[in-house]
Amino acid sequence: MTGARRLRVPQQFRLDLPLRRDASARFLPWIIALMVYLAAMGGMGLIWLRDTIGRWDASLASALTLQVPTDTDQPRLDMALATLRQTKGVLSAQLLQPDETAKLLRPWLGNYVSVANLPLPRLVDIKIDPHVTIDYVTLRSHLASIAPGASLDNNQSWLGSVRDFALRVEGVITAGVVAVTILIMAIIIFTARIGLAIHGSVIELLHLLGAQDAYIARQFQVHALWLGLRGGVIGVFAAAATLMILGPAGHMLALSVPIAPYGIFDWRVGVLLIFAFAAAGGVAMMTARVTVLRQLTRMP
Amino acid sequence: MVRLDNVGKRYGTDAEILHDVSISLGPGGFYFLTGASGAGKTTLLKIIYLAEPPSCGLVTLFDTDTSVADRPAHTALRRRIGIVFQDFRLVDHLSVRDNVALPLRIAGAPEREVRENVPELLSWLGLENKLDAHPATLSGGEQQRVAIARAIVRRPDLLIADEPTGNVDDDIAMLLVRVFERINKLGTTVLIATHDVAFARQFTHRRYHLERGSLALAVDGAADA
Repeated sequence: MTGARRLRVPQQFRLDLPLRRDASARFLPWIIALMVYLAAMGGMGLIWLRDTIGRWDASLASALTLQVPTDTDQPRLDMALATLRQTKGVLSAQLLQPDETAKLLRPWLGNYVSVANLPLPRLVDIKIDPHVTIDYVTLRSHLASIAPGASLDNNQSWLGSVRDFALRVEGVITAGVVAVTILIMAIIIFTARIGLAIHGSVIELLHLLGAQDAYIARQFQVHALWLGLRGGVIGVFAAAATLMILGPAGHMLALSVPIAPYGIFDWRVGVLLIFAFAAAGGVAMMTARVTVLRQLTRMP
Repeated sequence: MVRLDNVGKRYGTDAEILHDVSISLGPGGFYFLTGASGAGKTTLLKIIYLAEPPSCGLVTLFDTDTSVADRPAHTALRRRIGIVFQDFRLVDHLSVRDNVALPLRIAGAPEREVRENVPELLSWLGLENKLDAHPATLSGGEQQRVAIARAIVRRPDLLIADEPTGNVDDDIAMLLVRVFERINKLGTTVLIATHDVAFARQFTHRRYHLERGSLALAVDGAADA
């Protein structure tokens, strides 16, 4: 050999089989990329959902709302407020003025509907210490005796429904991620079997030259690792790009909870993307290894 | 070293290709296996190099009964055998260097050994300028020498060549046998299959003849070399 030194490929990554020339080497990374993208988006959806529920939980656990019928006179209102303020665990009780109530209703009624003539209940915004247990049964009964028709809402039934819904969404997302993983495994199994069939003569030759099954399986697993990592990096970058686009969009829509509080700078998102990338390679590699070893034991 | 006792081979319900074949190849011997095309030479070689199991009979390689040897044991036995296939079976996408290095790498030899031994061997066979060439760019004779290099690079205990002289003229065929004789002198047992009985008769090596699936020691066979 003259001139330039030959590039030395580490023995573990050398392929005796021409797997990189197979058609699967061209399309498989894109399929894996799509799967990784979906799984990463699902994972980020889980993070967002848990953040949102957690934030709602934290804010609603320290707030109550008292609704008093519109025809309740001022002395009864004052008594109800006094009762609330004397209750252990209540930090403050603030009667909302009609214009403040109207402001809360504006998103539903619009700017051009006058609420002055509507029989709106009077609302009392109550802040409580979430670490103190309040006897709601007694408090509700006491308030009803002062202002008949008054209702105290501690948001728990609504929050319970939201938690239940979130749990179902988490289940669906988790099932989706599992389905994506199974799909990647199925594609790799299919591809590995095709590879074994296409390169059967070279595999037989390697056997006759004294190759162990593990040596041949390593060829497939290195190839699958390479395809998986290529697909993984594409999928992960696409997911990160989507997050970067959706994050500002959440602010533009003025959502009460941003879509991506910290975006790709959130360490959990970083860990998720790195895990998705590594898992794509790992799942592809291990699936190829197991598939090929099982198939090879059936060969002479 | 190689011992076949009453070996038979048939595929499915077809007629028997090999019938009651018994043969013993001693260490360091040089043997010809002759027979017309279709006589069963390649099948017999395949049984010896463990590509095919016999339908009946006993095959003993290097004192190991192959019928009871497990898969890893078969692999270990194959590593002691070098094979020159009739169609060479070079791997098209690998260079000459990498083709010849295959048995070394499969055996887990260090790359230093590959870098030292492979070019030296190819140089010995006159292929020093073809290290990075691919099989498709080589002539038939060159491909054959690459196949021989691959078969002997690990200094096998047994070298099997299936019709190595089939596609070359007499001079080249003679040269090839001389190469095999040099390998044999290093201690490797050599078994060459050829359909050309007249060619094999030019040498003094023991010759087995296969006819309609039955093997016999040829009458012109001399003592082991």
